[in-house]
Amino acid sequence: MTNYGLVIDQERCIGCQACAVSCKQENNVPMGQFWNRVLTEGGDKIDTPSGGYPEDGGSGSLDMEYQPTACQHCENAPCVKVCPVNATYTRDDGIVEIDYDKCIGCRYCMAACPYNARVFNWDEPEQMPEEGTGDVAARPQGVVEKCTFCSHRVDEGLDPACVVNCPADARIFGDLDDEGSTVSKYINEYETDQLLEDRGTDPKTHYISGEMSPGRPQTSDKMESELDDVSPWSDGAEDVPSDADGSDSGDSGGSHHSIESDADPHVPAVGSGGDD
Amino acid sequence: MAADSSRIAIPAFGTKGKLWLGLLAAIMVAGLAAWGYQLTTGLVATGMRNVFSWGLYIMMFVLFVGLSAGGLIISSAPKFFHSHRYEGFARLGVLVSLACITVAGLLILPDIGRPERLYQFFTSPDFRSPMVWDFGIVILYGVLNLWYLWLLTRRDLAARGSRLALGVADTDAGRERDRTLMFWTAALALPTAVALHSVTGWIFATQIGRGDWFSPLVAPVFIAKALVSGLGLLLVVSVLADRLTNYEVDREELTSLGKILGIFLALHVVYLLAAERLPHAWANHFEFWAITSSFLIGESVYFWLWTVVGGAVPLVMLMIPSLRKRVSVIFTASLLAVFGTMFEGIRLVFTGYEVANIALPPGISTGGEYAGITTDIWATAGAYTPTLVEVAVTLGIVAFGALIVTLGLKYVPIQRVERPESYATDGGRQERQ
Ligand code: SF4
Ligand code: SF4
Ligand code: SF4
Repeated sequence: MTNYGLVIDQERCIGCQACAVSCKQENNVPMGQFWNRVLTEGGDKIDTPSGGYPEDGGSGSLDMEYQPTACQHCENAPCVKVCPVNATYTRDDGIVEIDYDKCIGCRYCMAACPYNARVFNWDEPEQMPEEGTGDVAARPQGVVEKCTFCSHRVDEGLDPACVVNCPADARIFGDLDDEGSTVSKYINEYETDQLLEDRGTDPKTHYISGEMSPGRPQTSDKMESELDDVSPWSDGAEDVPSDADGSDSGDSGGSHHSIESDADPHVPAVGSGGDD
Repeated sequence: MAADSSRIAIPAFGTKGKLWLGLLAAIMVAGLAAWGYQLTTGLVATGMRNVFSWGLYIMMFVLFVGLSAGGLIISSAPKFFHSHRYEGFARLGVLVSLACITVAGLLILPDIGRPERLYQFFTSPDFRSPMVWDFGIVILYGVLNLWYLWLLTRRDLAARGSRLALGVADTDAGRERDRTLMFWTAALALPTAVALHSVTGWIFATQIGRGDWFSPLVAPVFIAKALVSGLGLLLVVSVLADRLTNYEVDREELTSLGKILGIFLALHVVYLLAAERLPHAWANHFEFWAITSSFLIGESVYFWLWTVVGGAVPLVMLMIPSLRKRVSVIFTASLLAVFGTMFEGIRLVFTGYEVANIALPPGISTGGEYAGITTDIWATAGAYTPTLVEVAVTLGIVAFGALIVTLGLKYVPIQRVERPESYATDGGRQERQ
């Protein structure tokens, strides 16, 4: 069965906030709310490091890392278990979603979520521009909303908006149940953590730290599984994108056709268009 | 006269009574208006935000669920053991319980973002959710209280020709049957009360994401808390009713219940609290004195209000032999116990939201103007102050509870007047006043 998950390579992440902003746009997220936040691990403020500059020839201790945080789509999701009216549920493909027509707005799920991933529409949501953005209908006042892994895109065979819009290819979306998928491989090959692992929620979002991965393999907005064949190194070539791929203008946005070990990448005649 | 086995506490409302009713009505109207306002503007009218998403309504829900315990337990525990102890408190106790559980249930309404969808509890419940269990048990408990109050008084109501008897007649056989029914109701009421407080505790105790909530002690503490505050409130109300209405409190029973309150306080504030704190203090500190001080010294104002003002002080008052027999002392100690218990619920909610598990900057989007730690839409820690709207709505609902008690004193024969001989020998006394 399909079980979608996300890998975020914190070594690749440059803290550009593109994922947070594209999430807000794509999902029509109201003013004052964020489903996806890029947190700074370091100083007290966003984009500030901890530690100090090297002084008097000594070595500095500056340290900073980014931690993009949205709904972790937990396997053992407390928000699903507490929802009294089944408004929050886990889809067959593993995505944790809310039925906004059912939600009574009790906010028990917000108490249950250890990640503060959920937001509540305290007043009539305000969109900018007024008619809203993206492809998702606005949610009414009085309900809870959160990241859906862009289920409306996933249903169309597209990766979530944050994934395709990450300029650092730090976000990789795919099927955790498919051992050949990039997410599964990275989780096997790299040092990955889940947030607040000790709570036993078993998130489907995994963070790579330590060694940098080659990042998201394909450059189209399609999901890996929708490509004619998977990425160039899916069949054994270890952990670097093929040189050919690297020399190819990385953001041309075409699907990669099946590429045997050392073949030239096939560039389709017409680019399939970028993100949206 | 002698034939009358019951007494109404308020035969008719005097000027003071009418003023009191007027005051309650005014508070209720204000609460209703505040709720109307909150319905139109949304919960943004409250002090709650994404970082601190439960507030006064839930804190007071916790308090009133606890308060609803005392009366029912005091009136049903002796019945269950076929004892006549505390008979004088039985009816008043159930009345107070009924009022409190009604207040608790109503407090959920303004907390809900879309109350018009509450029917979903029936059409689409998820039985994994402690809230569904609690919803069920609160309703069951409310119905049980209503039934019990009626059962306790229906023959007397019939004897008075009240329509509230709903056609039941006052016969000796009927009274006899009612006593069996009372036994079975008591047998059902006790476990239901235990379940009510445990389930309400489990709403919090099952949550791994909110600091100290995740503790197996929460449910037992909620039971102890219910015993303390519920009995405390019953004593407060009975003394007030004694002073202000024709209800007469039995001094001996009052003193005895005061003693029991002292025992409950000791169990709750001294024993259970110590049991909860000691392992943490021990595990987190190394030196003997560090362990001791972290064990003894609490972290917040709420903690002190609860343990000292609502715990240690009334406990001492009820322990000193020369003091504990005085009605004024029992009254004050009970009042303090209720007041202190309020802060236990407040503290519980605060410990869940004050600290965010992931407190990295910029933090959590608050979903509206937020006057907590920061003034922008981001917050890395929770802060909460209830707004006037929340206070008004809450007071309105509490006033409704007070109205229930007041009307109960007016329309339900709340006092049983001792009839020394057994019911069986006083046949033929069902003719009316
Ligand atoms: S991160 Fe929070 S909202 Fe998302 S599935 Fe886990 S508990 Fe639910
Ligand atoms: S706020 Fe909505 S989604 Fe969350 S637990 Fe309540 S009903 Fe379910
Ligand atoms: S878009 Fe990519 S690089 Fe930018 S903050 Fe998000 S994860 Fe990091």
